[in-house]
Amino acid sequence: MNVDPRTKLVIVLCLSTLAIFIKDVLFLNGVLLITIIISLIFKTNMLQILRKIKRLLYVLLAIAVIQSVFSAGGRTLIEVGELVILTTVGLQKGLEFVIRIMIIILSATIITTSNSREIVQGLVQWKLPYEIAFMVSIGIRFLPILIEEIKDSVIAIQLRGIEIEKIPLRERFRVYSYLFTPVFVSTIIRAQKLSMSIEMRGFRAYETRTSYTVLEMSYTDYLVIFSSLLCTSALMYLYVS
Amino acid sequence: MVKLLDSIGLKSVNFGYIKGKKIIKNIDIDINIKDITCIIGPNGSGKTTLGKLMMGILRPDSGEIYLVGEDIAEMSLGQIGRKIGYLFQNPEKQFFSNTVEDEIKFIPEIKGLDKKYIEEKTALLLDLFQLNHIKNSFPLKLSQGEKQRLALAAILVNEPGYLILDEPTKGLDVERRKVLVQVLKKLHGEGIGMTVITHDYAFIDQISDRILKMHEGEIVEDKRNER
Repeated sequence: MNVDPRTKLVIVLCLSTLAIFIKDVLFLNGVLLITIIISLIFKTNMLQILRKIKRLLYVLLAIAVIQSVFSAGGRTLIEVGELVILTTVGLQKGLEFVIRIMIIILSATIITTSNSREIVQGLVQWKLPYEIAFMVSIGIRFLPILIEEIKDSVIAIQLRGIEIEKIPLRERFRVYSYLFTPVFVSTIIRAQKLSMSIEMRGFRAYETRTSYTVLEMSYTDYLVIFSSLLCTSALMYLYVS
Repeated sequence: MVKLLDSIGLKSVNFGYIKGKKIIKNIDIDINIKDITCIIGPNGSGKTTLGKLMMGILRPDSGEIYLVGEDIAEMSLGQIGRKIGYLFQNPEKQFFSNTVEDEIKFIPEIKGLDKKYIEEKTALLLDLFQLNHIKNSFPLKLSQGEKQRLALAAILVNEPGYLILDEPTKGLDVERRKVLVQVLKKLHGEGIGMTVITHDYAFIDQISDRILKMHEGEIVEDKRNER
């Protein structure tokens, strides 16, 4: 579906608001279903995202146990002696958390179907200062690079003969603290180089900017934005009442 | 299948970063760990990828890799790192400390080695790689050549039995390259073999026992070098 990036931002905003506002598992499941359908319409890389979200199952289990141990209520499902390990309330809260995160992640991927230049342009046309919009786009672009750098540093430290999984926990924290230096410093150096490079290419040379790409909203965009806001309000009203 | 105990063996190794696009195509070689083997070839021919596969950083899509008879698929990176020292093409990736001296010291310190031994070893390496005058400098602020020398010193403090060096002469001036050749020859004399990935043909001529030429993911030439 070919819509303006600003329309996609409105959709993401609506879905994330619903994910945070609603606290009922059934309602949240409904919102998740809507998010999946919208993601499919925008042809996001659903399989890859689901593979990543799979790791959240451990978080679900951890939250379910923590909630069960620390909050009273619900039917006990597992207990060891006097200690309650898993209750229906704990399980429900864990499930709520995971569904909420899934909605936020899946909805955020809708925006990635537009390129970063279009997103910046969309934000600028929403009267956001260009510098801030540009900063947002750089943030989006450099996040995968940062993740890659952290992975590389973990590999590099192991290649120096450190078997991380075999060293005691206290020493392991010390080893991980060494990773902070290369990642932090290389980020600063990269930012310095980037700022130098954009200054040399005339960034902010003039007070006003003209853009080669100018986004124009179509009737479809207005219709999608209106429907999104209407559906969000309706769902919120339905949930409250 | 014969698992040679004096070699790194690659058996029908295939690898690609993207599904369906092979970077390494059915490579079958044994690299003697006593030799200095140089891998040459144009950009994008798969030299660095092959080095990373030998080091266990990348896992092959199919095929097996043996390190002196042991399947590296069953070894952790830490275990491989204890046996082989690896120099990244970009040495910045392997710096973790705030000073040049600490960069050399910190791994033996984590391993709990004797303090006196660490001091002596560090002093020796600082001297060998001409890093004494910058021993209190921040590693990431060094010149490319200095970074390269520091990365090598930091690898050698582990006393690895084998080295895989990706572009070790990158950024070195003529004088420093000469020193590097001497150091590598000295290490070789002490029984440490190495695989060197490089474009530097003069360097290859000076140190290699065997030259493997790669093209589009395949080894197209394998010859001995008479030094």
